[in-house]
Amino acid sequence: MAGIKALVGLSFSGAIGLTFLLLGCALEQYGVYWPLFVLIFYVLSPIPTFISRRLSDDDSSSNACRELAYFLTTGIVVSSFGLPIVLARNSTIQWGACGLVMTGNAVIFLTILGFFVIFGGGDEFSWEQW
Amino acid sequence: MLCSHDPVKQCNVSLWTRVMSGFLDGIRCGDCECNVDWGERRNAIASIAAGVLFFTGWWIIIDAAVKYPTEGEFHHAYHTCGVIATVAFLMINAVSNGQVRGDSYSEGCLGQTGARVWLFIGFMLAFGSLIASMWILFGGFVVPQKPAVYPGIAIFFQNAFIFFGLGLQVWAHRGSLAMCNLCSLLHCSYTIKSILVKISLRML
Repeated sequence: MAGIKALVGLSFSGAIGLTFLLLGCALEQYGVYWPLFVLIFYVLSPIPTFISRRLSDDDSSSNACRELAYFLTTGIVVSSFGLPIVLARNSTIQWGACGLVMTGNAVIFLTILGFFVIFGGGDEFSWEQW
Repeated sequence: MLCSHDPVKQCNVSLWTRVMSGFLDGIRCGDCECNVDWGERRNAIASIAAGVLFFTGWWIIIDAAVKYPTEGEFHHAYHTCGVIATVAFLMINAVSNGQVRGDSYSEGCLGQTGARVWLFIGFMLAFGSLIASMWILFGGFVVPQKPAVYPGIAIFFQNAFIFFGLGLQVWAHRGSLAMCNLCSLLHCSYTIKSILVKISLRML
């Protein structure tokens, strides 16, 4: 039953994160929609970890594939924070919008991390949990 | 030279060489084994930290390129420095420990010596790009007293971050092994040879 509660909690925090992102774009004093490009990074971020878990999870210690996945995932996360900063420094968006987008980033990535921690990356995920 | 027709002597010789070679293995990379104990956590943290540094470096240069788009403010050829540093980063991380040590199951397409040459070239490119970034900063921006020094600083920080990310990766899971082997190319093989010569001279 903990599966349902965790799932609801994670989807709530995901919704909060996306709300922050959209607030950063749609508020009246901002009104520019460039920050929506970080959605690409949201979608890309779990993919390296999924691939590495699918390919090889035999070795529990010092798995090169898993470390590569960590490296790429970190890069995607840093890029999703870097994009609003570069946009704000170039005065394409305002700094307030940048702050809202970065807050949304943090919440979304914590949600994705929570998914991996609680649901184990989907390997032992079974529909009976529902 | 080590073969002996006397069975007792042969047994002693093989035992002696086996003991000696095991002892040498312990000496040669003595501090390498302690990496494995707390290795898995450290490897993961090092990968994450290296990723943060690497991509922060690239976003700094993207920021500089966006703020100073003209050729006069930021000569576009200066991007080469960061690209070469990235290539070096990928080259060094592509070689696994086993290939350099020579005890992996598969030789790979390079073999042991090829892996060492590859690592050597990779390190040379990494050091070269770091030095080049300092040269660009001082020779291209500080000395001509350009009004906007920020692109030069950005290039320097990009290469410095990539280099430190690389250093972290190398230190975490390849440093002791790779450095150990690069040094031992001369040192330990010489030691082994001298000890084997001593053994053979004793047995004869």
